[in-house]
Amino acid sequence: MIELQDVSMRIIIIIVGTIGFAAFGIIFGLFYKGIDRKLAAHMQGRIGPPLRQPFRDVVKLFTKENIVPENAIPWVFNLAPIMGLVGAISILLYLPIVPQTDGGLGPLVSVGGDLLLILYLLMIPSLAMVIGGFSSGSPYATVGAQREMATMIAYEFPLAIIIISIAWRLSIEGNANVFALTTISSTAPVWSVAGPLGFIGFAILLLVLIIVTPAELSKIPFDSPEAETEIAGGLLTEYSGRNLAMFYLTDGVKTVVMASLIVALFFPYNLSNLSILGLESGSYLAFAVDIIFYLVKIFLVIVFSVTLIRVAIARLKIDQIVYTYWVPLTLLALVGLICIMWDPETMAQFGLPRVVEWLGFV
Amino acid sequence: MITWESFLETFETGSGFWNPLIWITAIIVAFLIIYILRGYGKKEYKENTEQTKVFLSGNPEYEKEQMHIKGSNVYWGFTESLKWVYKTLDKMHTGNVSDYILWFVIIMGILFILVGVI
Repeated sequence: MIELQDVSMRIIIIIVGTIGFAAFGIIFGLFYKGIDRKLAAHMQGRIGPPLRQPFRDVVKLFTKENIVPENAIPWVFNLAPIMGLVGAISILLYLPIVPQTDGGLGPLVSVGGDLLLILYLLMIPSLAMVIGGFSSGSPYATVGAQREMATMIAYEFPLAIIIISIAWRLSIEGNANVFALTTISSTAPVWSVAGPLGFIGFAILLLVLIIVTPAELSKIPFDSPEAETEIAGGLLTEYSGRNLAMFYLTDGVKTVVMASLIVALFFPYNLSNLSILGLESGSYLAFAVDIIFYLVKIFLVIVFSVTLIRVAIARLKIDQIVYTYWVPLTLLALVGLICIMWDPETMAQFGLPRVVEWLGFV
Repeated sequence: MITWESFLETFETGSGFWNPLIWITAIIVAFLIIYILRGYGKKEYKENTEQTKVFLSGNPEYEKEQMHIKGSNVYWGFTESLKWVYKTLDKMHTGNVSDYILWFVIIMGILFILVGVI
């Protein structure tokens, strides 16, 4: 029998957690946006804006007029940016900030949802942008919304292959709840179960996921739904003031979400476990070290999957985006899947050790 | 009667699980936070002025019916990039029943070979 007190305690945890994660997502989303802009500028030989520029941008947008075009459907037009941001924040609750081994935090609501749920929740911010674009009543926004839809359908395919491959490999190892992030990030991290062929397979899947990330975040080269120089901001053409600020914040929070997802799937390791540091497991200091390590991991993921790619490559057309995801990347993900499928077979047949054993980590 | 236990239960399918109530609680809280945050922004704008006209880079604005883009265009990116697939499928789609039966027999043959060999 579940006590009423128990339920109210859970609700309080969720409420406080949501407030905390909202603040965390927004502040660090903007902070990483600042770092991304600064780094991209340096890569292009510019000085770039200061790190706090995104915070200033939001404050500035809040003081601007919140124009609703005469063709728009006002309630949908105003609701879409809020729903996008709310959806993005809700994903953060399911992601493990510090993996649960040795007294880490784990996802706030680990029993409340799994990786498949995250896959669906990831669509909410994009769908909110599509709905906002269509409700603007502007041809540019409509074209942008269509492109966002096509991009979404395009990158979901390789993304689904990645998720299924990881879950399948973990289920072969005899893990229960293979879609649960607690299993993936603390019980059986992907690299620890892989043999040589599986290791190659997971490396390919990581590469594909890194290329899926810019499309998920509408960043160059996959930013044709916005394409400022071509369709004047696409989805966001008619948005201004606080509504545009909401989309701006959504972008920041989504960046943290995607980077956290990559970290949770592929790099769920804590620094506090290292015996060299001599930290007491579960102590506040160990916890602080892990949080800082997590922020560094997110930073590295963002540099590779967002900053580096968007500086190096020019924008693709929408048909090129669909082709990129449905042909080369899907094939690449399938090659990864095949490597992972054959991994247990080859390990058994040739007596190959796991890569972690071979490297001497276990 | 719905008990507390069944009301708070997490949906499980054997491999996946999720608890809608937790998500709804989080969504409501996040919505309130964002709504309050948004409230700090400026609400006003000049209604029924040039400001509320859609931006079209100075091009003439057509009737609303003419400016709407058809639903079929949503998939333009797909039809364009996968043209080579559609073209092949188009050629195969002759409308001749004997052709379709031939395809059926060929596919069945391939499946039998696959099932028999593997």
